[in-house]
Amino acid sequence: MDGMKILLVDDEQAIVTALTPVLQSQGYRIVTADSAAAALQAAEQAQFDLILLDLGLPDADGIDIIGKLKQLTEAVIIILSARHQETEKVRALDEGADDYVNKPFGIEELLARLRAAVRRLRTPAGVLQEKFVSEELVVDFALREVRLMGEEMKLSPKEFALLEVLCRHAGQVVTHRKLLIAGWNDPHADGQYLRSYVALLRQKLEYDVAEPQLILTEPGVGYRLVALPIQP
Amino acid sequence: MANILKGRLSYHDARDVLAATVDIVIFAVATAGTYYAQIWDRPRSAVLVYIVGVTIIGARSGLARGLSAAITASVVYNFFLSEPIFRFSASSADEFIPLIAFNVCAILSGALAGRLKDSVKLARAAEARNAHLLRLSDELQRAIRISDVLRIARASLPFQRVLDLDIYLMRDGTLFPADDDSASVDPAALLAGEPPVSIAGAEARICALNGSAGRIGFVRFVLGEGPAPGSDMPDLQGIANILGLAADRCLLLERLSESHALQKSEELKTAILSSVSHDLRTPLTAIEAAATSLRSFDDSLSAKDRASMLATISAQCRKLNRYTANLLDMGRIQAGIPTFMFIEVDVGEILGVVLASVRESYPGQELEKQITVDSAIVRANPAMLEQVIFNLVENAILHGASSRPIFLVLTRVGETCLLEIVDFGPGITAEEQPLVFNKFYRSRATAHRDGNGLGLHIANGFTEAFGGRISIVSPHFEGRGTKIVVELPLVQAAHGHVGAWE
Repeated sequence: MDGMKILLVDDEQAIVTALTPVLQSQGYRIVTADSAAAALQAAEQAQFDLILLDLGLPDADGIDIIGKLKQLTEAVIIILSARHQETEKVRALDEGADDYVNKPFGIEELLARLRAAVRRLRTPAGVLQEKFVSEELVVDFALREVRLMGEEMKLSPKEFALLEVLCRHAGQVVTHRKLLIAGWNDPHADGQYLRSYVALLRQKLEYDVAEPQLILTEPGVGYRLVALPIQP
Repeated sequence: MANILKGRLSYHDARDVLAATVDIVIFAVATAGTYYAQIWDRPRSAVLVYIVGVTIIGARSGLARGLSAAITASVVYNFFLSEPIFRFSASSADEFIPLIAFNVCAILSGALAGRLKDSVKLARAAEARNAHLLRLSDELQRAIRISDVLRIARASLPFQRVLDLDIYLMRDGTLFPADDDSASVDPAALLAGEPPVSIAGAEARICALNGSAGRIGFVRFVLGEGPAPGSDMPDLQGIANILGLAADRCLLLERLSESHALQKSEELKTAILSSVSHDLRTPLTAIEAAATSLRSFDDSLSAKDRASMLATISAQCRKLNRYTANLLDMGRIQAGIPTFMFIEVDVGEILGVVLASVRESYPGQELEKQITVDSAIVRANPAMLEQVIFNLVENAILHGASSRPIFLVLTRVGETCLLEIVDFGPGITAEEQPLVFNKFYRSRATAHRDGNGLGLHIANGFTEAFGGRISIVSPHFEGRGTKIVVELPLVQAAHGHVGAWE
């Protein structure tokens, strides 16, 4: 991973001890912080590519330091959160966090999130990619063309707008809010429309609409496209 | 008599006038009888007639009237009717013995009549008191709380001189008013207590309240002025005894329900402890065994064994995670789930999420689904709804027939979303069906299998919080199998026709 630098913010020593060697073995460089104050101090002193942030810190709520971290660094922030905390997750994502992993998590899940984040980091800022290419799905943003297993799919403009946001954040969660802005230019638009258009997209792209494999539901938070882009 | 002159005659006055008139008539008749007996030269009969008259008047109207009749009779007899006429003489026995006889008879009959009247009056008062006590004790039968006792007792007032009453109960050696647990009362102050100043001329009487195990408190009666001092004094201790019995019963009932609740919570604690020790220890034991084996025998283990042990650790961790999540969910249900956590959710979407995690947890399990609706929007918390469906599907897998698929049916009937989870296991007996939603309930038939007795409890608790319900149909197919039906109210489509695409 070319020495991507991770700030791991968690006060649970057991988790830090377990994660550090695994992440190092994957080529990441790790700096740890066990409190919100330590995390902010570390972010001031050095630049990080990624921040893994636990929400339950001893000296502050993790959500409250997201804004400050965002001011200090360009790093992608991934939240470590517990199940049943959708409200917190949504708040953290609205504050500027990029993704989350539910605790307890398998290491594959965490690594997948990190890889998705790294892919976005590799995309030069301000330069929009023209194409999304994965094994099964090819989306040409300029030509507004969608091919599924080589077969061209006809999408309505709104369906395409939603798919584009999902592809540009492939592997990462995209909140209802972001999708509503992308499709309707209004974060307060009716969630019912979004559900309906996602259902239409799934009808066109999924093998089995009832058990989607491509556009996954993140209950209460948003959607996640799991097609992995092939590196150009 | 003044009233008669004024032309205003009360009922009592009229009765008195009538009684006096009757007495005068009797006296006149007796005088006339005596007169004729004298004319016919029957002096002994004459005296006897007069004695009868005086006795009747004494018996009818009491001592005073009888005595005045006797004296009048003495004068009239001696002066007008016996020789020498128009002269008062008591020189011979024949002359003064009738006078003595008149007066003795009048006194005796009058005194007897008075005593009779007094005892009738007393009997009537006692009857009224008894009727009151009987009615009071009858009504107090319905009291189940101390406040009821106080309310019923006060509703029976005023009775005779009793205007008001207060009940004070001993609790742990302190005296409290029955209607106010917060303000303790000093027993000495109560016993020396003054009546409320608002009632002029009132006095207070304190009586003990006795229960089955001795004194339970006091009752304070506030007495007003009776018609005559000393009269119409109700049997205060009698009332206090009845109140004491009722209060004692209410206290016992309270203690009984408290100890019942305590026993319930003790039972729950025991259930939680035994569940925690079993359901936490079992996976921990497996994890510890696998981990220590890997550490100690890493070199001698085959790659296959190593993989299997690692898989065990991972699977048991997932189990522990689910179990702790279940315990947390149980706490959430107990605390009450606030509706602000609910948003519009598509049951079909959540079902898709659940199916993905069920396939991950139970890779070999066949799942058949039948979805007849495009969308089924309900108001719920998405993560909780996910938990409901996961728990029900997992329950079906654990208790179903391993060789048969689990069927999942999502439909709508009117304004209700129906999700059916169907297995082909041995089914749930009619006796067990009401019990399966209880905390920590495990079917005896499958107690040895996985599961912690919380899954259905949580599914049911969450579903009820969403305004829905879960029902069981078992057996549902050839004497076997269980169909669990989740009903959730659909959100009215306030958005118009959602199918109006561009």
